Amino acid sequence: MDNNFTARRRRELMLAAFLATVAAIVPLFVKDVYAQNIMVLTLMYAALSQSWNILSGYCGQISLGHALYFGLGAYTTALLFTKFGVLPWFGMLGGGLISALIAMGLGYPCFRLRGHYFVIATIVIAEIALLLFQNWNWAGAALGIDIPVRGDSWLKFQFTRSKLPYFYFALVLACIAWFVTWWLEDSKWGYWWRAVKDNPDAAESLGVVVFNSKMGAAAVSAFLVAVGGSFYAQFVSYIDPESVMGFQFSLLMALPAVLGGIGTLWGPMLGAVILIPLTELTRSFIGGSGRGVDLIVYGSLIVLISLARPQGLVGLFSRQRKAVSP
Amino acid sequence: MTALLETRGVTQRFSGLVANSDVSISVGRGEIVGLIGPNGAGKSTMFNLIAGVMRPTEGSIWFDGEDVTRLPAAERCQRGIGRTFQVVKSFETMTVIDNVIVGALVRTTVMREARRKAHEVLEFCGLAARAEVPASELVPSEKRRLEVARALATEPKLLLLDEVLTGLTPVEAQTGVELVRRVRDTGVTVLMVEHVMEIVMPLVDRAIVLDLGKVLVEGKPADVVRNPKVITAYLGDRHAVSA
Amino acid sequence: MSLTAETIIQSLASGLLMGLLYGLIAVGLALIFGLMDVVNFAHGEFLMIAMYVTFFLFAFFAVDPLLAAPLVAASLFVFGAVVYLLIVRFAMRAKANAGMVQIFSTFGLAIVMRGLAQFFFTPDYRSITHSWLGGKTISVAGIFLPQPQLMGALVSIVAFAALYFFIHRTDFGRALEATREDNGAVALVGIDKNRVFALGWGLGAALVGLAGAIMAMFFYVYPDVGASFALIAYVTVALGGFGSVFGAFAGGIVVGLVEAVTALVLPPSLKSVGIYAVYLLVVFIRPRGLFGSM
Repeated sequence: MDNNFTARRRRELMLAAFLATVAAIVPLFVKDVYAQNIMVLTLMYAALSQSWNILSGYCGQISLGHALYFGLGAYTTALLFTKFGVLPWFGMLGGGLISALIAMGLGYPCFRLRGHYFVIATIVIAEIALLLFQNWNWAGAALGIDIPVRGDSWLKFQFTRSKLPYFYFALVLACIAWFVTWWLEDSKWGYWWRAVKDNPDAAESLGVVVFNSKMGAAAVSAFLVAVGGSFYAQFVSYIDPESVMGFQFSLLMALPAVLGGIGTLWGPMLGAVILIPLTELTRSFIGGSGRGVDLIVYGSLIVLISLARPQGLVGLFSRQRKAVSP
Repeated sequence: MTALLETRGVTQRFSGLVANSDVSISVGRGEIVGLIGPNGAGKSTMFNLIAGVMRPTEGSIWFDGEDVTRLPAAERCQRGIGRTFQVVKSFETMTVIDNVIVGALVRTTVMREARRKAHEVLEFCGLAARAEVPASELVPSEKRRLEVARALATEPKLLLLDEVLTGLTPVEAQTGVELVRRVRDTGVTVLMVEHVMEIVMPLVDRAIVLDLGKVLVEGKPADVVRNPKVITAYLGDRHAVSA
Repeated sequence: MSLTAETIIQSLASGLLMGLLYGLIAVGLALIFGLMDVVNFAHGEFLMIAMYVTFFLFAFFAVDPLLAAPLVAASLFVFGAVVYLLIVRFAMRAKANAGMVQIFSTFGLAIVMRGLAQFFFTPDYRSITHSWLGGKTISVAGIFLPQPQLMGALVSIVAFAALYFFIHRTDFGRALEATREDNGAVALVGIDKNRVFALGWGLGAALVGLAGAIMAMFFYVYPDVGASFALIAYVTVALGGFGSVFGAFAGGIVVGLVEAVTALVLPPSLKSVGIYAVYLLVVFIRPRGLFGSM
């Protein structure tokens, strides 16, 4: 029985390596800049959603305020670079650590809340941060921060002539997010998280320190999302509160996971690969008229998937699933 | 030899209602003790107090020579108190073996160890064949056994069984009784709350009867059953206030 | 703005009126949640639709919003019931990830509704230029109260009183309560759960319809208007405590007052920070809101 298990784990790892390799080769064939842009965003959202999934999918603490960490990551990098000349690589680390600490700090009062009270608290906290940044003059207030781009540089993590370096970075980020999830899935943390999600009282009776579990999930999740935010800042080289801390980001981090399968290993990846290109394409081809058709399509998709297949699309691809819902 | 578990003058009040009043009981190592009493006697509350779900209004709880009154449930589990729930609380989205692994992880962080231990416990409880099945697909009697298996995986010194034999068919109940005996044989002390007299009395070494939150009588099962006070408590006119 | 006693009282008075209106917007949400444990994440869009209906009744038939209010409420009632029957009913059947399904199915609906509004009505801002109460104020003991908001507050109070009476004194209201307590058992006494839920949604929508009719008198009407009030509505309900109709009422008043006080002290763009901070403060101390039972 243990052999089956290790075999499955190895298969998952090999599949990931295979897919990563395929993804790495794609830009060599797809040269269109617009398409490459979509690919970068897809990978970024895959990474973000996978990270969100750790807290909200595995541990069951549904957050609709994760844009907070995304924005913190973006702003930390941008501010450190423009104000103090600190390289974005350090900014990324800094942003990640700050976000992890804040996530744990917020966890202290928030994890006492259950269900909808918790979700609303996450939304509200992100909104407060957004409003504060909009009024913080040193950080650019509503006008945001412009990151000066002067030619290509890996050191400064900025590239003008090609999107490829961004693509590969996003790919690495997605792989890291996936790998962290894979690794934690078969660890004390992974088991504790799922126990907390399913039944916190029973978990406690089995020695699980519920509060610590939630904190751990929050910290890991926030760290990874913040790194994604830092990446985004470098990718678009201009950020403002609305564009990196807005509610639509929180939603967009959650949706791929919901679509693909919340609380599963592959769900967010699958969801991102389907949802992001779809969103971008509908917005470009249909949304341009400003007549809301893209919203209609987008919204209908969400309603349909959540009603028709609440466990996500990932279940369609496997016969033997470990975390199965009835 | 000190008792494994001791409650000293434990009183529990819930805004006006007294669920337990000055309850002092003890459970010795290796015993199987039955906690019985009519509805509303305060058995479940006592259980939850021992397990650490809440703190008593007054009194103290001692486990293995240590005052655990202030310890939360998770830490009591680490000290060696395991419990099952009356209304089964399995982890529905996880498989049977994953449920048990959660318990095993209290004693080891090495996953291979935890899995091996979980397999052993499932074998012991007769659920090995259902290891990879999602917990949601188990039948009620299997879910009960899963509750026990999970708690056993935490390697408890004291196992609290909350009405684990209630509502089973006679055959299932017999299997359950066998399981409890085997658990004790491995060196685990058992404190069980039960309703079904015919099943519990032959099983336990000692019975403690609660009524209206107080200890009424305790002693050997055969004596307790014949005690006139106990008979009145059960047969007399009582308004059932669920504990 | 100089903080004279007069300014403060003026602010608090307006805040109170707005708060009662917030309560009216929120109570529909509280009712639905109390009935079936579902948070309608399209609630803001219900408000938006109500405002549009009011606007079009004015634009095409010259019906004053005050007169239109009952009509708007009635049409929202139908709309709410339909939403339940076509979407929410299925969302509640989900056994897997039930919470997520609820959240995202109504969220998806909200997005669709906003898209439809944009499509049919264009993103242009509309406003009702000549209503009976619009733009007028009345002076009460030296305090200037805008008439639409005052009417809104009155309507809100009446609505809450009527709701209370309805829930506690009528047969249907009792059926609503019974279904809330145990929706499995009600079938045994001949109550059709689906009918009760549909009517519950209808009622909740009708209440927000009333609020929309009033608000159309002094707010711009545009596709995204619902989004601004949605969060306030959720915070109001959560603050008051999910499952408590009275909580929505109290929560609304608190929110209105806090918003007014915040506007006095902080720059206008930070107006909402006060509300959010108070919400967090309340739930950190009372994790189930002020009067919540869930």
